[in-house]
Amino acid sequence: MTIDRQQARRAGIGVGPLGLTDPSSAEHGNDFLSFAAYDRVLPKAGTMTEEIVSYAIDPATQPDEQADVRDLLAQCGLDYEIGVEAFVVFRRQRRLIACAGLEKNILKCTAIDPALRGESLGLKLLTEIVHLAHERGHSHLFLYTKPDNVDFFRSCGFYLLAEVPGSVALMENTPIGIRRYCDRLQTQRRAGKVIGSVVMNANPFTRGHRYLVECAAAACDWLHVFVVAEDASLFSYRDRFALVESGIRDIPRVTLHHGSEYTVSRATFSAYFFKDKGIVGDCCTAIDLLIFRNYIAPALGITHRFVGTEPFCPTTHKYNADMQHWLREDVTSAPPIAVVEIRRCVHDAVPISASEVRRLLQAGDLARIRGLVPPATFALLEAKYHIDRSSAA
Amino acid sequence: MRIMREALAGTLESSDLMVRIAPRAEGLEIVLQSEVIHQFGIQIEKVVRETLARLDVVDALVVIEDKGALDCVIKARVQTAVLRATVAPGDALSPRRIADAPVDWSALS
Repeated sequence: MTIDRQQARRAGIGVGPLGLTDPSSAEHGNDFLSFAAYDRVLPKAGTMTEEIVSYAIDPATQPDEQADVRDLLAQCGLDYEIGVEAFVVFRRQRRLIACAGLEKNILKCTAIDPALRGESLGLKLLTEIVHLAHERGHSHLFLYTKPDNVDFFRSCGFYLLAEVPGSVALMENTPIGIRRYCDRLQTQRRAGKVIGSVVMNANPFTRGHRYLVECAAAACDWLHVFVVAEDASLFSYRDRFALVESGIRDIPRVTLHHGSEYTVSRATFSAYFFKDKGIVGDCCTAIDLLIFRNYIAPALGITHRFVGTEPFCPTTHKYNADMQHWLREDVTSAPPIAVVEIRRCVHDAVPISASEVRRLLQAGDLARIRGLVPPATFALLEAKYHIDRSSAA
Repeated sequence: MRIMREALAGTLESSDLMVRIAPRAEGLEIVLQSEVIHQFGIQIEKVVRETLARLDVVDALVVIEDKGALDCVIKARVQTAVLRATVAPGDALSPRRIADAPVDWSALS
């Protein structure tokens, strides 16, 4: 059989029979040879009748490999996800027998040929993918799985973060991740009967966000504001955070927090597609909200969560609606959190929204943006994000 | 030795362990998970601490996922993780780079 060494090298991993190091490549100055190969031993004859070859692929540039991965996932009742940037695959003879994928720091599309389960391939597969992730700069990993598989992943060094019984669980690969984060939050705890919270993406910060924080702060003894940290929006996290910071600085009794991977992040909101697609939307909001209720809110003593009414975006609308269930109802042992919806502030009879600002920006209509955002946001839009379309038109 | 970056060594397979080491501002923190923690937890931590002490590692976060490894394996994996972690971030991390690093080999015996 032939494995394309060049391709695998480009993907950043050494190629060899599982665990067999190719020491010559180190001598030849290949600085990109994976460490991972050095850490493994060759499987013992007897348990493995055929040698397993393990290597990394880039699905975008290796369509044949991608096709095989798709087949294996389909066999296991899983969908192929286009966001996956790299896979570790195992082959025995020519057959693809296991795969695991990475989208940034999230483990996805993990499957083992149903006929080969019970050979402890899972531990080998997880070892490979953890090393690959590390080489790609991700040491803190998350994964979604079915609750039935939680025990298996526990044996691979993953720890449960939140679970929706019967549908989905989110795990992370450290026993101290969420605990450490909550310990840090706890130092920011404030006394009071009504402790509020707002989570905002502020993409970008508008007068609507300012209004929401003002209203929420007035209703609380103390308000904690979180800015979504994931850099997946039009405006960078740096810019979004800076605008929120300057935009709410004068409002008393407010603490501004950096976002984290535990609130509205790629990890907590990932759309891991199980076979039964109808359930996905629900679960995605559920995991994020359960983490907020079970860990973040208790660390800060949060009693209330404030949101703006959402007249436009169906996803945000659903998220707000789901809050009523996952934050308030008797679904977990953590204390319930009251959800307060605040009517959006209106400009020229239209509710202010960040998506509208982005739309106007796209259209090059800076004049109409001016009424929707604070001066600091406007200045940034003008300086950094404005593309002058007038000349093109 | 100073821990400059996060590093990983080992596997999750039976009789092995995975060692994850990361920079920490002050002091040593060891988080140990083991299938045999009740029988050997104290012994495993002792081996880890001794190995780190011999390498003069005083500030680090060490997270260990043990699958019933023998002491010699624990020692080897911890040493490997430390050596990989002492390469400055930004430098290409490679076996060759490690081999060139100024290492007190006698501390590895």
